[in-house]
Amino acid sequence: MSFNSSTSESILATRTSSSLGFADLLRDEPSETSPVRMQGRLWLNFDYAASADQTAGHTRLIVRAQQPPLQVIRAFTTTEGAALVHLHNLSGGVLGGDHLELKVAVGPHARAQLTSTGATRLYRQRAGFPPAEQHTEIKVAEGGLLEYLPDPLIPFAGACYHQKTHIDLTLGAGLFWWETIAPGREARGESFEYERLQIQLDLTCAGRPLALERLRLEPALRPLNAAARLGPYRYLTSFYICQPGREAVQWLRLETALLELAQQLSQPGEVIWGVSTLPAHGLIVRGLSQTHPSIVTGLLTFWQNAKQALYGRPAVPPRKIY
Amino acid sequence: MSINSPDAALKQLRLLQLADSALPVGTAAHSFGLETLIAEEALTVPQLETFLADYIAEAGVLEASFCRAGHTVVSLNEILDEAHWLELNFRLSAFKPARESRMASAMLGRRLLRLLLALEVWPLVEQALESAQQAGAEIHYSTAFGLAGGILELDEEATALAYLQQMLTGLVSACQRLLPLGQSEATRLVWRLKPTVLNAAQLSRAKDAGLMTLQCFMPLVEVASMRHPILHTRLFMS
Repeated sequence: MSFNSSTSESILATRTSSSLGFADLLRDEPSETSPVRMQGRLWLNFDYAASADQTAGHTRLIVRAQQPPLQVIRAFTTTEGAALVHLHNLSGGVLGGDHLELKVAVGPHARAQLTSTGATRLYRQRAGFPPAEQHTEIKVAEGGLLEYLPDPLIPFAGACYHQKTHIDLTLGAGLFWWETIAPGREARGESFEYERLQIQLDLTCAGRPLALERLRLEPALRPLNAAARLGPYRYLTSFYICQPGREAVQWLRLETALLELAQQLSQPGEVIWGVSTLPAHGLIVRGLSQTHPSIVTGLLTFWQNAKQALYGRPAVPPRKIY
Repeated sequence: MSINSPDAALKQLRLLQLADSALPVGTAAHSFGLETLIAEEALTVPQLETFLADYIAEAGVLEASFCRAGHTVVSLNEILDEAHWLELNFRLSAFKPARESRMASAMLGRRLLRLLLALEVWPLVEQALESAQQAGAEIHYSTAFGLAGGILELDEEATALAYLQQMLTGLVSACQRLLPLGQSEATRLVWRLKPTVLNAAQLSRAKDAGLMTLQCFMPLVEVASMRHPILHTRLFMS
């Protein structure tokens, strides 16, 4: 499986814009006068490579394109033979005006686990620059499995960020995909002070939409602490668990099992969890919390249980401390 | 809408009947997550007006956009655009993460179209039902309401407004059974929220270009709907 692109493999080595110094790449805060608009790109393929005797195999990472500030260093092989890859952003976060593109193709029977190296910091909007954008395109082939487990998005005060994600699954593919949105830099007392977060998600299978999200969060215009929106909670997470091809009744059974967990993990006013089957092929776990640790605990618990139920083996958390 | 002609007056009467909360499609059986919110003390009477205004501004605009799109599925020469009809319903299903609320909407939509068939012979309604059944698509209430408006040649704007009005009265009715909310206060609430309904109808008009600019953010209501199956005591099906 590959993406249609005119970019050839020969130019896919890491490239750094000639106008960009290393210090620019590593800065923590954007400069108001910086003229640089980053065009980051990361195209990753994961292919299954059988062993010579066909008794075992492993997943191989192929970096098809890599352009700062997005970068991967290497893949680690997990105990279940998946390729674990940490997604790096050399800028330390998403700067106002950045345009970042991530494409991931998981081939037949390949198993990939993607995570970030830390929270994705969304810096304040820079005057004269368009909103920062991140476009993600994910395809998972039959028998392939993608576990996409990033740390949360933290929108700084004044941030303006547009994110578009399209995940397309083939029958027989597997997906564990979560995303958490923090209210801001809480340690600085910053909560819902960003300008705009626009999040678009299309999760599809064979052209049919399984889940569509269109969020336009503008705290100054539409208060997020309203009872119809987040109410007393500040963190929001969505966890999609899909495996196209399974019978609807199996998803209903898993919904029931995970709802019991949701009940155990919920403390209304502090953290609440809900679980529901999607129109087809999977389910969603959604959590709202006052704090981040309870979100992490919940996600790991749901992941462990769902992985065991669907694949008959435990989830292997990425090499990091939660 | 002018009702100076018998034809226009008939359309007006039909619209009033469609928007009547007594229409026997089952709206009274669903709270769309409100029952859980109230049980978990996340929604009280003093919060209600703001809550309903936000609900209409989020879900109301989304559903009214689909209602308008449903209205346009029937062309002037009375042909149902089946592919568009199915796509609308598939997409709206995908916008509804909570199973109970999604199924409630689908139950109401199908019942509305069946009710129409019980009143008169409408070949396009039959076609809409059959095509959805064959494709395994749910028929949502907002798209069905819009389709009914289109088939009955009701004005699109009036259809969207009637849909929103019915959505609001349905929510308030559920709240009356769940909260200490009297009939008079409920009536005043619905009356005061008319500008919100008008605004939502206007926003839904602006967003009908391919339904790509829609947005809806109601995670607490969605999670409440997801948690509804595990409530100890339930008055509502959703």
